[in-house]
Amino acid sequence: MRITELALGILTAVGGFVDVSELVFMSQAGSRFGYALIWVVVISTIGIMVFGEMSGRVAAIAKQPVFNLMRHRLGLKLGLIVLIASFLANLITCAAEIGGVALVLRLMTGAPYRLMALVATLLFIASVWVLPFKWIERSYGLLGLFMLVFVAALVAIHPPWAALAGGALPHVPAGLSHRDLLAFGYFAVALISAVMFPYETYFYSSGAIEDKWGPKDLGINRLTAIVGFALGSLLAISLLAISAQMFGPAGISPDLVGTPALQAAVPFGTIGLLLALLGMFFAISGAAIETCLANAYSLCQFFGWRWGRHQPPRNAPRFTLTWLAVFAAALVIVLTGVEPIQLAEYAVVASILVLPLTYLPLLLLAGDRHFMQAYANGALAKTLGWGFYALIIVAAVAALPLYLLTSGGAL
Amino acid sequence: MKPDGRLTLIAQLRDLQIVDAEGMHCGIVDDVALAGKPGGVLRIEALLVGPGGYAKRLPGWCRALVRLVAGNGCVKVPWREVESITSVVKLRHEAAALGLDRGEARARRWLPAIGALK
Repeated sequence: MRITELALGILTAVGGFVDVSELVFMSQAGSRFGYALIWVVVISTIGIMVFGEMSGRVAAIAKQPVFNLMRHRLGLKLGLIVLIASFLANLITCAAEIGGVALVLRLMTGAPYRLMALVATLLFIASVWVLPFKWIERSYGLLGLFMLVFVAALVAIHPPWAALAGGALPHVPAGLSHRDLLAFGYFAVALISAVMFPYETYFYSSGAIEDKWGPKDLGINRLTAIVGFALGSLLAISLLAISAQMFGPAGISPDLVGTPALQAAVPFGTIGLLLALLGMFFAISGAAIETCLANAYSLCQFFGWRWGRHQPPRNAPRFTLTWLAVFAAALVIVLTGVEPIQLAEYAVVASILVLPLTYLPLLLLAGDRHFMQAYANGALAKTLGWGFYALIIVAAVAALPLYLLTSGGAL
Repeated sequence: MKPDGRLTLIAQLRDLQIVDAEGMHCGIVDDVALAGKPGGVLRIEALLVGPGGYAKRLPGWCRALVRLVAGNGCVKVPWREVESITSVVKLRHEAAALGLDRGEARARRWLPAIGALK
């Protein structure tokens, strides 16, 4: 039973790893810079493993999710600033995901984009209302495994494996112009943000409490965070690598959410295209639900209200009203006609700005022996945690200037 | 920490999650009401829960915004109702008996009575 739980947890993490921002930025980064940014994905994945494991451990031991702790550790004023900033970042991300799902549905059915956005949102509302937490998490996560077709596609197109592996070593390609160097920096920051989105830790730690984790679940937590995120990252790297081989040499810039689906269509034809679109649909849908719930979790936890989908919607009414309102607000943003790609760009920039404030209280609490006792951060977790925290701060400081200087990587 | 022990820092208590006797979340310690006289013993009289409790801890512009959005309500939970203090403040009675469920009850009125799978 424990092995089944573990396998399901890992598979769910794999299927739920990729969202619309990763689809967009992995494909664009591969097309523009070949394999040169793979090392950024690898480092960011280790970062999300470290913070994901930490947030799950804190939830299991202190029984407190991120936002409860944030207010207690940072105080009301700073906590409120983090709440507002992360709420807006998550809302934009949720809108980007709904827009992404609407585009995939439009590709599959030919129906109008705005109608598909409405249909997708209603489907998400019905899912979250009716299904218990574990079903929501598992169904979208496991069906997102259709995305594995991209890994198969990478193998099928016989990439230059040595060059691909070389991309995992930290380096900046030689001979880049000043303009390309800035764009390289922008894509590096965007990939860090897309892999380490703050909603992931809000959702992960809240989910651990929904699933009633305790000390006995720390093994599952560690394996899910390490193995699940590592395999999910392989999926993301496949998107980047196929794009590097397929789109880059042809001078194609994958500027549409649907373009990555072609990566599976080339080696596998219609079946590949269908599997890719299904995988994208479920993976992005899962991310839309996670970002929406992350906002409801954070607001309710900050004010101490009842929260969670382990209880019927009417038993946690303010939580239910919040996620309904977030879905509605995200839909309104999509219906204004803003391009999902544009929203994804705003989402990664807004999220990286919030990341340092999100992870600081988590780091402080995970190392606090008063709360965590024997399960507090050891030397390795402390070193990795503060090391990645420094990286996040550098990325956060550089994000906005790079976005403006490169016009969102378009230069 | 026990409620009858010495609280050396109000900061240890403020902004902690409150759960009722049934383990339900029912607010945050937004502030505390103190009783006592200069030169005498200072005691915690009650926990303050609600916008009226935390608004005065915010900058002026933000205070006005909070009043506009969330009102100025504040529930006083007598100190004797506190059973224990760990990473949460546990109360001796249910939230409804202490007036801590009004916000949830108001929100519930907006929701349809549609069930969900267990």
